Amino acid sequence: MITFVWFSIRRAWQGFWRNAVMSLAATATMVLMLLLLAGFWIIQTGLLAGLEFTEQKVEVVAYLQPNVTDAQVTTLRTELEAMAEVESVAYVTRDQALDRFRASMEAQGREDLTQFLDSNPLYASLEVKLIDPSRIREVGDAMREDAAVRNVINIEDLVERVLTVTNILRTAGTVLLLVVGIICLFIIVNTIRLAVVARSEEIEIMRLVGASDAFIRWPFVFEGAFVGFLGAAITLGVLAAAADPLSGFMVEFFEVLPLEVGSLTRDLVTLVMGAGVGLGILGSWVSVRTYLIR
Amino acid sequence: MTLAPAPSSAARSLRRRILERGRDQAVPDRAVLVLHDVMKRYPNGKVALRDVDLVIPEGDFVFLVGPSGAGKSTLIKLLIRDEVATRGEVVLDSQDLARLPRRQVPRMRRKIGIIFQDFKLLPSKTVWENVAFALEVTGHPRKRIRPAVDRVLAIVGLTAQAQQIPSQLSGGEQQRTAIARALVHDPRLIIADEPTGNLDPLISWEILQLLLRINELGVTVLMATHNAEVVTALRKRVVALEEGRIIRDEVGGAYHRED
Repeated sequence: MITFVWFSIRRAWQGFWRNAVMSLAATATMVLMLLLLAGFWIIQTGLLAGLEFTEQKVEVVAYLQPNVTDAQVTTLRTELEAMAEVESVAYVTRDQALDRFRASMEAQGREDLTQFLDSNPLYASLEVKLIDPSRIREVGDAMREDAAVRNVINIEDLVERVLTVTNILRTAGTVLLLVVGIICLFIIVNTIRLAVVARSEEIEIMRLVGASDAFIRWPFVFEGAFVGFLGAAITLGVLAAAADPLSGFMVEFFEVLPLEVGSLTRDLVTLVMGAGVGLGILGSWVSVRTYLIR
Repeated sequence: MTLAPAPSSAARSLRRRILERGRDQAVPDRAVLVLHDVMKRYPNGKVALRDVDLVIPEGDFVFLVGPSGAGKSTLIKLLIRDEVATRGEVVLDSQDLARLPRRQVPRMRRKIGIIFQDFKLLPSKTVWENVAFALEVTGHPRKRIRPAVDRVLAIVGLTAQAQQIPSQLSGGEQQRTAIARALVHDPRLIIADEPTGNLDPLISWEILQLLLRINELGVTVLMATHNAEVVTALRKRVVALEEGRIIRDEVGGAYHRED
């Protein structure tokens, strides 16, 4: 068994270098395809992060009656927090609302006109963050029914429209990634196939001298895996070199997005390595198979 | 044109008895190959062989002749189980190839050495590596490969050219490399498909002499050929195919029918 594995690896290594032009062409194709795949994957990840960020901003704000008691607020909060759709509830008192307003005026460089007021004109409010923004209508309706609530800003229609757009974008991104993945699959498998077909005579001789299927197949499979590994390693090298300017661009482009570069590269390494080695093996397996089954 | 004298039939049967090593005493001529009532129809409906009966005893030297399209190639494909007979039995070394499970085909092929018109050598490997290849890909340990390859290269007379690659060799030397590769497994049967088809007459005789010598060593040889001169001169057993049937099977025959 160990002799067999050694034999296969040795033959795979020989096969790679004795057909260097073909092998390097296959590796180059592999690199280009994996770069394409990784590129689309990065875009998709960015898109998803952006959409999630947008959706997280959705919150329902209920303004409370001016004469509301603390007990009423607590009851309402407890009720809302008990709802499955609700992620968190924040209570903003009238004073806090005024402070926020002043801060935002100042940030915009406008004059604070509230100082001329006798009393605080703002309402206390409950800001409800949702687990799933598509359930906004239910939460909004529940709050409107409560006596302590003065009014709820009706943003349901707007939110639903935004959600339609984000869902389309999400689906489109996934479909696009899938299409690119399938393109990569076919091109890589075909390239490996060419490298195997170029050595069909060698396979024929092996068959004629009585080599068993395993002895014919595994060297090619190892060679495919090696091409895949080499291609993936080069791709990751290119990506690593391009990572800093790229993520700089991403952050600049999406501005406020909290892109985690660390987790992104680990998933990306898994994707590129998996796709490279996996498709290399698949390509060899499928290509050699056509010569074995008769 | 001088020829090595063909071994007498008495000498041949003696050797056959030695090779039998006490097995199959009931059958004096142990057959390497038996074809019984073989018919081959290809999926496109063309019948390439019909009613073929053929017995080749151990140690025999048989010429398979006939015009192109007579079924010689199909017959050889059946023997190496590249194709399976539509009907009838193809029994090689007591194994019916039609019933042989696919997994056992490689093991069976190691009992056959096959030689082609176009040599089928790997251009990037040396003579030595080409011969060793047959043992490497069938899982032989390296320390057994070296002496076996050296031995067959000595038999075919290519010891001096062992480190050359095929493009540096003459056609005859390339074919001798192919013969060495066919021999390295110690096959029971050598199948030569037009081995002299690409070679000039003088070299063709050289290859024939080599095959005869291998036959003298006890290996059965089946040679498909168009080379009428060689067949007629050697007076070996001749099996003639025409339109898929065996039309003649005579010991000491010529290329063409002599009536």
